[in-house]
Amino acid sequence: MNLTLVLATLRQRFTSPIRLVIMLLFGWMPMVPILMAPRTGFAALGDCYFLALALAAGMIGQDLSSGTLQLLLARPVTRAQYVFSRWGAVATGTFLLVVLQMSCAAFIMLVRGVPVPWDQAALHLGNSALLALGTAAVMALLSSLAAGLGDLGLLFTVFLSAQVLEKVGMFKSWEWLVRGAGELLRGLKPELDLAPFLHGGPIAWFAVVAYLSTVTLCLGLAVVVMNRRELSYASSGN
Amino acid sequence: MPPPATDLPGAVPPRRAGSPRRDPVLLLAVAALLLVLRVVLGFHEAPSRAVPPSGAPSGAGAVQWRTLEAGLAEARATNRPILYDFTAEWCPPCRLMQRQLFADPRAAAEIESRFVPVRVLDRQREEGRNARWVDSLQAHYRVNAFPTLIVAGMDGRESSRLEGFMGRDATLGQLRGTGVSLRWGMTGQAPPDSR
Repeated sequence: MNLTLVLATLRQRFTSPIRLVIMLLFGWMPMVPILMAPRTGFAALGDCYFLALALAAGMIGQDLSSGTLQLLLARPVTRAQYVFSRWGAVATGTFLLVVLQMSCAAFIMLVRGVPVPWDQAALHLGNSALLALGTAAVMALLSSLAAGLGDLGLLFTVFLSAQVLEKVGMFKSWEWLVRGAGELLRGLKPELDLAPFLHGGPIAWFAVVAYLSTVTLCLGLAVVVMNRRELSYASSGN
Repeated sequence: MPPPATDLPGAVPPRRAGSPRRDPVLLLAVAALLLVLRVVLGFHEAPSRAVPPSGAPSGAGAVQWRTLEAGLAEARATNRPILYDFTAEWCPPCRLMQRQLFADPRAAAEIESRFVPVRVLDRQREEGRNARWVDSLQAHYRVNAFPTLIVAGMDGRESSRLEGFMGRDATLGQLRGTGVSLRWGMTGQAPPDSR
């Protein structure tokens, strides 16, 4: 990972007005239930999937379509470093937003005289970090495949296709199709619950392996795709 | 002698160590290994994820289904309502609900904290008949499709009914509410002779 690239990505993402509006929307909407019922705790914040998507959309694709990538890769940076830096930046940015969101929620709870459930906070933070890393990895792969914001289109297409396949499998009683589509849907939102690790419950190893497999596979394939992408230095497009 | 292919204008340089285009071999190897492990674990978990009956082990982190007697006793002792899951092994939405809802550790923990879960497994299609208590409960709650979730108090009165499965979050959201009577989602229709 390249620190300069990580910081540049974070600066780029957090100075985009449209992204800021979307992040404000997704970040502050969950504050309403906290304001209304602070005893609900951090569970009312929900997960950070849409925050991660808002930050990740076009993480590589926009560089491809704008011609920035050609300039970037003229520097002594490997393509793998570029992909990992983008991934790390998006995950870090999402995590920072979650921390900010939780700080506000904790502040509201304290002001309303409700004790802050710190154990729940730690769990929420851990789960959010894993979801941010997972979503950023999936988006890195999709973004390496499509220019501009095409990664969101790809995500939506895969999501819809998997839903349709799942329903077809259910109607036809094709268990293998239901299972495959379910795994595809699970792969689009890689998450892992840390509760059994923190509270000593039984660990679902399939979920752990599925999460790690999705993240590593997406990152590995994203680098492979980027390595095989030919960039034209003669025009402004790719 | 012609120049090597890589010396030609526009040729792609070979991917060797130190090249900016070096593939992450180690990462790909780990990813492949994890993928194989995922498939193996998936197959290994499949039988335990298919709708285990009440009293049978349901797998790590999943809802632990009580037998009817144990469920009634627990409901009486803890003053929690009973969550009846009317289901069948042949019913694809039931298997999907088992995988996405009842086998999900977070959802399972919430269900276990709110309800005493009792599974009512229909065996009409497989064995030609059901246990008497299964028929009796199906008739009492007028179950005509699978899956059907019924939340009932100790007096046996139904307070919520959910028919079909429309995803983990939607089902959990409905279960959090009380006194809701809904019919929605995709169901496996119970055969007429299963009553």
